[in-house]
Amino acid sequence: MKRPVLPAAQPESRESVIIFFVAGHKFLISASAVKEIRGTEGMTPFTMAGVLRRLEKLQYTLERQGITYFVIDAARHFSLPASRPSRLLVFRNSPVAILADTTDRMVEISAIHGLPEAFSHEEREWYRGLALIGQEVAPVVNPGAFLGRLEQEVLRDELERLRGATTL
Amino acid sequence: MTSIASKSYVLFPLGEQRFALPAESVTELARQDQLHTFPHRTPLLSGVLMRRGRVIPVCDVAQVLVGPDAPARKFYLLASYRAERQQELMAIPVTSECELANAVAHPPVDGSPAYIRGTLPLGEETISIVDLEALLAREVLG
Repeated sequence: MKRPVLPAAQPESRESVIIFFVAGHKFLISASAVKEIRGTEGMTPFTMAGVLRRLEKLQYTLERQGITYFVIDAARHFSLPASRPSRLLVFRNSPVAILADTTDRMVEISAIHGLPEAFSHEEREWYRGLALIGQEVAPVVNPGAFLGRLEQEVLRDELERLRGATTL
Repeated sequence: MTSIASKSYVLFPLGEQRFALPAESVTELARQDQLHTFPHRTPLLSGVLMRRGRVIPVCDVAQVLVGPDAPARKFYLLASYRAERQQELMAIPVTSECELANAVAHPPVDGSPAYIRGTLPLGEETISIVDLEALLAREVLG
């Protein structure tokens, strides 16, 4: 019998991840990708949904230490029902922050399992893979998928146009 | 009518109907295990199982083969299929235990969907042989 090749766990070194929840679903994000976890105060409404439908998930900006962060509603990003975000995860090497319902503890994972090829839609971009936390499997999100480089450029241009000044 | 081949098949029940997969593609029949779900956009996939340290996608083919009113599935049939780049295992929820049968396959009935690769006449019952790759391609690619 031909033995199927299964998506094996990537032989990575141990990685610290932050557990967060959106619309009842558990997600993991590399702790090294997150600069700050904070409340949702201080955000400024900003939308370009009328220009780019794909950017309906963008609803606010946040000014922090001279940087403008584009705030993505994670529930909309993952096509989940509207939720009640109370936490903001500000990314480290990107002008992006995401709205999550809650954050939990930081844990260490020893392996990330590749997403089986049967999953063939947007989730391949959304996730780096799957990880085991205790007896549960949760997706490890790809921080770069929340807002692509091109989208960031479009948003920066729009923000500059609105302000009439360079912001980033 | 010319027969396709004489082979072993695993017959799996979905409610009142039975379907077949080539036995060579089936690796295991497992009891219900913990289904892990997470947001995704691929049709038919309901989540994944962790078995022996491996991630196995769960594909609910009953939605296509017997419709939305299929009875509760109590077992998982683990079968291999050709994914885009490699052979992968897939868990198919079935309603009760499966049966192994040796039979001569016949071509599919005219008008059958592309994911039915043939039929097995067994007594008064005619069982459709499912082509997993074609079924997934139909659902995933449209």
